[in-house]
Amino acid sequence: WLVVYRRTHDFQPSSLPSPYGSCSDETRYDFQPSSLPSPDLEPEWLDDVQKNGELFYLELSEGEEAAALAQVATNYGLSTNHVRFSEKEAEIISDESRKLPDGAPTKAEPKLKRLARILRRKRRPSQSRGPDGGGEDSSSRPVSILKNQAGQRVGVMVQQLKEVFLYLNPKRLGSCSPPPPERGGLLEALLGVVHRPSWGRGQGDPAGRREERITVHGLVPNSPAVKCAQILIGDNLVAVDDVDVTTENIERVLSCIPGPTQVKLTLETASPGGPGEGGVDMSSAPRLRPSPSVSQLVRLLWGEDTVELQMSIGHIPHIVMYLSLKLDSDSPLEEQEILYQYPVSEASSQLKGVRGIFLTLSDMLENVTGGQIVSSSLLLNKQLVHVGYWKESNNLLVIALPAERYRHGKVIQCMLPYSIPCLSQSHIAFCQADHAPRLDHFFCLFFQQLIQPSRLSDSSGSTPTDLSGTLFLDGLPAVRWLPLPPEIKVWGWATTLGHEDFYGMRRLYVTLGSCLFYKGYLIANHLPKEDLLDVSLYCQHYCLLPLASEQRVGQLVVWREVFPRHRSQIHQTKTINNHCTMPGYCQPQGRYFLLIVGLRHFMQCVLLEASGCAAPATGAPGPDCVYVDQVKATLLQLEELDLGMEERLAAPPAPCLSCADWFLPSFVRDRLFLPPSLDQGGGKVVGRSLFGRGARRPSSKRSQSDSGSEGQSDGGVRRPTGLSPHSTPDSARKLVGQRDSLGSGGSDGSRGSGSIFKVGLTSGAENTLFHYVLMEKVQGIFIAPTHRELAQLSGSIHPQLIRNFHHCCLSIRAAFQRSLPQGTHGLGPVKEHGVLFQCKPENWTDQRKPAPTMTYWVIGRMLLEPVPQEFYVCFHDSVAEVPVEMAFRLSFGLAL
Amino acid sequence: MMLQQAGSVQLLCLTANSGVPLFTRGASKQLPFSIIGSLNGVHMFGAGQGVVLAGCETDRGGRMVWRVFQDSVMLIAVSSGGQAQQEGGGAGEEDLHLRRLLENVWNCMVLVLGQDELASLRNVERLKRDLRSCYRLIDQLLEGGQGQEGIMGDLTHCADCLLPPNATLLQEGLDGFTQAADSEFGCLMVHGRIAAATEKWWRLAPQEVVLLSVLTRSLSLSGSASCDTPVFLPQGSPTVAHRLLRFQLLPGVDVCVLCGPSPTLHRAERELVGCFWSPLLEALRGSLAVGERCLPGSVTLRPDVLALLLINRESRRSVSCVKAIITNPNHPPSNHPLPSKARCWELLRLFYTFTTTRYFPLEETPALTLGEKAQRGDSLREDFALGFSHQPLQCYLVTEECKCFSLQTAQHQLYLLTPLSVPTFALSSVATQTLSAITLATGF
Repeated sequence: WLVVYRRTHDFQPSSLPSPYGSCSDETRYDFQPSSLPSPDLEPEWLDDVQKNGELFYLELSEGEEAAALAQVATNYGLSTNHVRFSEKEAEIISDESRKLPDGAPTKAEPKLKRLARILRRKRRPSQSRGPDGGGEDSSSRPVSILKNQAGQRVGVMVQQLKEVFLYLNPKRLGSCSPPPPERGGLLEALLGVVHRPSWGRGQGDPAGRREERITVHGLVPNSPAVKCAQILIGDNLVAVDDVDVTTENIERVLSCIPGPTQVKLTLETASPGGPGEGGVDMSSAPRLRPSPSVSQLVRLLWGEDTVELQMSIGHIPHIVMYLSLKLDSDSPLEEQEILYQYPVSEASSQLKGVRGIFLTLSDMLENVTGGQIVSSSLLLNKQLVHVGYWKESNNLLVIALPAERYRHGKVIQCMLPYSIPCLSQSHIAFCQADHAPRLDHFFCLFFQQLIQPSRLSDSSGSTPTDLSGTLFLDGLPAVRWLPLPPEIKVWGWATTLGHEDFYGMRRLYVTLGSCLFYKGYLIANHLPKEDLLDVSLYCQHYCLLPLASEQRVGQLVVWREVFPRHRSQIHQTKTINNHCTMPGYCQPQGRYFLLIVGLRHFMQCVLLEASGCAAPATGAPGPDCVYVDQVKATLLQLEELDLGMEERLAAPPAPCLSCADWFLPSFVRDRLFLPPSLDQGGGKVVGRSLFGRGARRPSSKRSQSDSGSEGQSDGGVRRPTGLSPHSTPDSARKLVGQRDSLGSGGSDGSRGSGSIFKVGLTSGAENTLFHYVLMEKVQGIFIAPTHRELAQLSGSIHPQLIRNFHHCCLSIRAAFQRSLPQGTHGLGPVKEHGVLFQCKPENWTDQRKPAPTMTYWVIGRMLLEPVPQEFYVCFHDSVAEVPVEMAFRLSFGLAL
Repeated sequence: MMLQQAGSVQLLCLTANSGVPLFTRGASKQLPFSIIGSLNGVHMFGAGQGVVLAGCETDRGGRMVWRVFQDSVMLIAVSSGGQAQQEGGGAGEEDLHLRRLLENVWNCMVLVLGQDELASLRNVERLKRDLRSCYRLIDQLLEGGQGQEGIMGDLTHCADCLLPPNATLLQEGLDGFTQAADSEFGCLMVHGRIAAATEKWWRLAPQEVVLLSVLTRSLSLSGSASCDTPVFLPQGSPTVAHRLLRFQLLPGVDVCVLCGPSPTLHRAERELVGCFWSPLLEALRGSLAVGERCLPGSVTLRPDVLALLLINRESRRSVSCVKAIITNPNHPPSNHPLPSKARCWELLRLFYTFTTTRYFPLEETPALTLGEKAQRGDSLREDFALGFSHQPLQCYLVTEECKCFSLQTAQHQLYLLTPLSVPTFALSSVATQTLSAITLATGF
């Protein structure tokens, strides 16, 4: 697929609007329904397209591949979805492809793959074809081409031999012709072993080189050889995968490694460091220890391993059932009302046993209270289980989860009706038997995410246990948006799509719109809000956004038919109307397809419509190469933005943030290096300069005086608070005084300049904003500090605070949701809700003094005008209230 | 839809084993028998499968809660809800209300009939007849705050109190009276709230104190000057009855004593009441004059406090009041008319439920297993409150009618309603001032 890259890359940037318009003949595509891509260009995902046309193709990027390889190798043949690895990061690819001369290699390569497939057995790929010629099939690895010579090794085995297992990926080299032997050849490029031919042989005369043992003269940094830490300088490389090697044949042997794989190197070592067996164990240990969480999610996405994962939560009562309400009492079949269920475990069978309750309740409650049942709770083996219901015509969907997930379940429950249509129209989906495996996979993911998210989420994440955070943010009817500085222009990137109406053919699809993600942040969107939310639900469910944010995606191609909620609704009403007025006529139903293409950090989701003004889709069309390539081309073009995006992410947070730890007196201990001018009443100056620069550094004044301000806020209830043992009481008192005096004039930071809201949200001498979330309902987007911004504000209490913030936001948002105007009952519509929290440092050991405390507000506000918005902010208690009001009004100064 | 009234609650009581309906209270229109039967049947079916059905809710806020007491009596509460629930908003709140209700009703039944009779179910017909004596109490509980304004004990499980201006005088009088009646449990009620009680009275379980207040109120509503009622204390002595002697001292002022076989009602009324209470008549009048404000005149509340509920977390007592709304003729009626008094009480109850379910869980009797907690419906809200890694101290809500503020200290919880005109940032100081004003003046 590298080929695809290069080709598209060559066409840009001059002619992006119609990259295929300027193609040479060979690369022209036919716009025919179900047309195969032109034969010289067979994308690697083509084999993965399912019978129904769907495709979920995910390649890991380089860092992950070695880790995942071990498991993958065992599951290789079993998985329905093929697993492959990207050869390298696209960045390097583009670099190399730029270096490449146009023409020859580009044209030669496309045929390669085909050739390789055809000639796989017959012909050893020549060196000039490069190592990626062999395809990925590991079975075709020509391990023993020189096996007949293996006997020679016996005589060589004089010294200690050790075996080292290395993970090699020839594709990492790119597809340029292999490095010439003068520069070390594949040995150096692939393995990372530097061997200098002994003196006496002419270096510039490779042909004259004679057979010679390969001594390790050096190691290339970051190469596999260095990483394994088993190959030492001075070792002799004796064999590769039991094939004896010398300088004579090493290049040839190495070139026969077709794709990413593990090879065994046999080395002769003089040092007694690694005796054979031990060396093997040690070397294999790190390789077999991939971060399990990483691969777990990916493997789950690939559809592997579900059994094991499901077993691990088998004791937890959870089930999903699709029940028919129309009971045919004549039928003798047991359990005939169960149209679908998952999973089958002991705990779930108990729940299955009481499905009568669910059926009765859903039927009865409507009669009794006039409302549809939403949820019920029951005790199962002393464990509280909550059950969510979703009734649809004559069928009932029931999902049961343990109570501690219920809150979460509630969030999910509202998502569920929407995400299932994303899967397919639910009543069709559940009733067709052949959908069962897909549904199983869907619900496996669903339950795994709910019940043991820690096993799925990556361990390296900044806040691995922030369940409420994910729940809150995922529960928002919005997508995380990254505001970009004006110099980064991503607009217009999608205008090229959907205008390929040439060649006089009817186009296959009409592009309804697309959206673009960078590292999981939405950066551009041309989709209507409802579609955007549907798409993001899909991405959420398959965890695509976090995947992309951590650069695990080498290449991602997803293609599937979708049933957007609002479109199908429109359609339904239409047909009903039509049915009334014009019996016999039915509006042609449009079919919608979702195409997601991910490359490294970028991910683009395109919603396509078939029929309508495009050609009607028949059967189950698979992804069309043209569209995939076009999206890829767009993404490649956007790679230029990468730098700018990184800058944006690295930039200091726009409303600048403070870390909670800076506000605790104990923190002062680490921060005593702060300007001494504080003692001379310089607090104001320091504060302002900090503020002006948007630096997120605490002024020690703040941290020391916090106890003072806290007592103040509590009015009469003043309690003694411990100051840092390092700050003398004298200076502390002084500082408290200063702070108080500042408090009155606290708003002087806001004087005049409009730029204030670019640097700091809260006015006053210090920045007291900890965190915020702003949701814009019309566009369906929200803004929150980026993960990186959070990571910058490390500290022990801050992550806790963020968790708490999110948890509180869940509660606040529930309050907003709950009280919608309906009669005079209840509290009525809630417009604003705030909670004040107090936190103490953990492990406070000082018995004599009470632990220092810090108080902060979490406030949510719902605005209906001018645009419906919801804000959630978290700030220190000391902030002057008027600026808070102002901040709310100015929406953080973030222009949307 | 069989429950016509929005927001109405219907209570069904059945025998747990046989499903014989014992009584139905609440809604004007009874549910048909078949429905009652299947509501019970659903629960029984689950119990047979090792699954205990606890409750369910509908998209319109309707809710149903089951609970079996002592393996003998099943109580089902059905609320029709009245308010749209979006995206599964605030769970727990209505739930808390209904669960408290079931618990109170059961305790009520125990209070009147004793646990033995309820648990054994020897004669269902007789039990049905006997249960009629509970109806008045149960109806009072069903009405919640709407029946008698300003009573929150059924919800908070904290005794509603009235802080009289001459507290020590009344306390001494009560102590003497109780002693003379051979008892340690005595209580003086003014306007249905406890104005003074002996130390032992306060040591009763909070729910019992609340229930006895409910009982006394209903007895005093009957208009008799005195009465002698057997009561079983649901937690203290669920099987052995005590006597509750109640005497009306003034209209609106009652004194009651929990005692053994002696003295007789007659003797106590003749010999003790007059002798102990006639010297204190003025003090009693003074406390009666406090009225529903519940606070002595020495406490001046800020003008911008519409209503308040103050709970002492240690002694499990509460004071609540809603200010009479004085419309200032000088000010033109604003865009946001202040909520009526009844609405204020309702809002206060709602806000209390809102806050306790989310932020300030009240400590109940601690030694409960998880399962029991779940049965009691506590686990849900505690679960949410436990989710906070930091301690909530204050919280506020801004609605279309008013602003609600609550704060929690080590000893107190204060819930306030203020008009919309009060700036949000001032709420905190209004609350702290109010709290200190009350605690300093009354030592509550």
